[in-house]
Amino acid sequence: MIQSIIKRDGRVVLYDQNKIAAAILKALEASSEGNAADAARVANDVQRELEGLFSKETPNIEAIQDSVERQLMNHGFSAAAKAYILYRANRTRAREANTALMKTIDEITNIDARISDMKRDNANIDGNTAMGSMLQIGAAGAKAYNEMYLLRPEHAKAYREGDIHIHDFDFYSLTTTCCQIDILKLFHGGFSTGHGYLREPQNIQSYAALAAIAIQSNQNDQHGGQSIPNFDYGMAEGVAKTYSKAYIRRLKEALEDLLGLESDEMENVRQVVFAAERACGEPVKMENGKAFDEAVAKELAVKYAITETQAAAVIARARKRAWQKTDRDTKQAMEGFVHNLNTMHSRAGAQTPFSSINYGTDTSPEGRMVIRNILLALEAGLGHGETCIFPIHIFKVKEGINYNEGDPNYDLFRLSCRVSAKRLFPNYTFLDAPYNLQYYVPGRPETEVATMGCRTRVMGNVYDPDRQISYSRGNLSFTSINLPRIAIEAKGDEKVFYEKLEAMLELVAQQLLDRFEIQADKHIYNYPFLMGQGIWLDSDHLTVQDDLREVLKHGTLSIGFIGLAETLTALYGQHHGQSEDMQAKGQEILGFMRKFCDNKSQALKMNVTLLGTPAEGLSGRFIRMDQKRYGKIPGVTDREYYTNSFHIPVWFPISAYDKIRLEAPYHALCNAGHISYVELDGDTARNVEAFESIVRCMHDHGIGYGSINHPVDRDPVCGYVGIIGDVCPRCGRREGEEVAPERIAEMKRMYPEMPAFQGIQ
Amino acid sequence: MTMQNKNEKLGQGVGFERIRRITGYLVGTMDKWNDAKRAEERDRVKHGLTKNA
Repeated sequence: MIQSIIKRDGRVVLYDQNKIAAAILKALEASSEGNAADAARVANDVQRELEGLFSKETPNIEAIQDSVERQLMNHGFSAAAKAYILYRANRTRAREANTALMKTIDEITNIDARISDMKRDNANIDGNTAMGSMLQIGAAGAKAYNEMYLLRPEHAKAYREGDIHIHDFDFYSLTTTCCQIDILKLFHGGFSTGHGYLREPQNIQSYAALAAIAIQSNQNDQHGGQSIPNFDYGMAEGVAKTYSKAYIRRLKEALEDLLGLESDEMENVRQVVFAAERACGEPVKMENGKAFDEAVAKELAVKYAITETQAAAVIARARKRAWQKTDRDTKQAMEGFVHNLNTMHSRAGAQTPFSSINYGTDTSPEGRMVIRNILLALEAGLGHGETCIFPIHIFKVKEGINYNEGDPNYDLFRLSCRVSAKRLFPNYTFLDAPYNLQYYVPGRPETEVATMGCRTRVMGNVYDPDRQISYSRGNLSFTSINLPRIAIEAKGDEKVFYEKLEAMLELVAQQLLDRFEIQADKHIYNYPFLMGQGIWLDSDHLTVQDDLREVLKHGTLSIGFIGLAETLTALYGQHHGQSEDMQAKGQEILGFMRKFCDNKSQALKMNVTLLGTPAEGLSGRFIRMDQKRYGKIPGVTDREYYTNSFHIPVWFPISAYDKIRLEAPYHALCNAGHISYVELDGDTARNVEAFESIVRCMHDHGIGYGSINHPVDRDPVCGYVGIIGDVCPRCGRREGEEVAPERIAEMKRMYPEMPAFQGIQ
Repeated sequence: MTMQNKNEKLGQGVGFERIRRITGYLVGTMDKWNDAKRAEERDRVKHGLTKNA
């Protein structure tokens, strides 16, 4: 007679046959194989079996469940037995996940981020801080839940075993990746951050301050990086407002000085300028037509009984001073913006917002002032000359605008090269690459390609072909394929490789669509800024009742990959840096993947795109798993990381020219995002001519987005910025060594920009 | 934040900052990088400007 049983946690409780019958009934009902009477009969047999097996000892839960499985089979309820086994397996997995989750939280709580690789998965989150840890604990919990409850079993398996990587998996049920914020549309008429209403800004300082707030607000509605595609065009409006006010004030002052007036002529001068604005049909700008200044001169001459020549001189002085004042204000505004984005917090203080700004093509005097000053602010660095980490600066290169000598913004392109050679930013995006140029319409900046986050690009629009623009759109989610593993599994058989690749593409497309279903069910109130303030395309037409399904279709679902180089090596023995044949094979593979995305896009009327994944955490995750499975395969799994996207491996010796030439064709294929890097030594990078020649080489070969890496070191003690080997070239100290006070005093005389405050901050 | 008050100790224990591009964005110091990306950064070779490396 069974009297008691042992539970999983070791507790002994009274045996209750009804509980067994209830569990059996659930399995029978789930498979529509039987009723309560059947359940009772099976439960009786379970008891009989247990009494035979456990005459003296107490049975445990596992033994009872084994018996239930056997008796269901004995009674011919095979579907119910299967359902019961599945249920048991799921419960086991849930228990293991709980244990793993607790272990993870334990590591987050107790281990220093310098030791814990897991806590450094994303270098933009400080895993040692309270809020950073809270974010990581939340992410761990969400991931465990999402895997258990939201993924199909085949997707969960592929994710768990490293066939695919579902990015931002902690946000699976919550939000989308990123968006290009049209800052002008947001500012017009003012906006609400969700925590308060802000009036339309009226000068460049407010424009810049509110641009930072817009980025911060949107960062709390999405999990990816935030970007402004029209930073120059957007800020130019603020510059124009500042100039307009400064012009009237300086005009009034110049006039009062000329006539020695004690009275305040502000109102009169304002009326004069308004009259000229009405007469000429344009507002005061940095550059008005000749007719505008003549209209003002005429009015002034009549009103104040001065000659028109005198009036013209007053106007010229006012214009010059207004320009100087506006330039000063713009400079301060841009410095403030960069400081803000490097110091402001988002996501409960765990991160500085991951932000990007795109600029370079606005040729108006106001836009040019913005571009020049943001570049100079970037060049100057932060308070102690530190290199700014955020925002990512992206300079848009376009023939006829800034690429060639004689182009209106060529001087600013040259300046950008000087700055990037010192500060690693800006990166460059190339509007003349054929796959970007096809969307470009002169005079419509929204048709200029822009990037956000590490490399994301959104342009084509299958859902709405009239809206093939970069503004107000972004990525919804992306999942990456472990490409080298497919090649290893194919064992050199090209046909097998492509069959497996296609199956994996189908699996990922399905998983992205499953995730889209979750996203599509959300409402504007879930995203008070992104959707509530009309940042996302067409979200301003939504009501509270509407779900987001249709407007989200402006976004992209992206299939990413890692390790084209290792894939080629596994399949054919060499990578695309080693032979032109391999370059052709590489393009075949990515061409196949792109074709799959294009076909899916057409079939679904949604934007499915191919991504050269940034792969920060992923670079190590896949290869660690593959080393366990396959050992160290030379050229494939024998390093600590898989090569990023379609890159030539970082360790492979190659000229800058060849690297650019070989990687460019993949930019055309990866329509969800791409980037190429060139690594220069410090001396070459600081040669602006050499630096520019690399950027031009990228442009001429059809690179879409590129940047040039070079070492940027800084000694916080003496403030030296440049390349530091073992010894600082300025103060001569080694890392951690002290410097004599006499030497500090001597250096302060030689280098006035030296930080006044030295040491650890 | 700790101020360095004693002039004779200026710089003691203070390291150099090394800013590198991790994957499109910059990171202020290398100690926030994960192990794989650190290894990758270590392996990066410079690219020459002539057509044949």
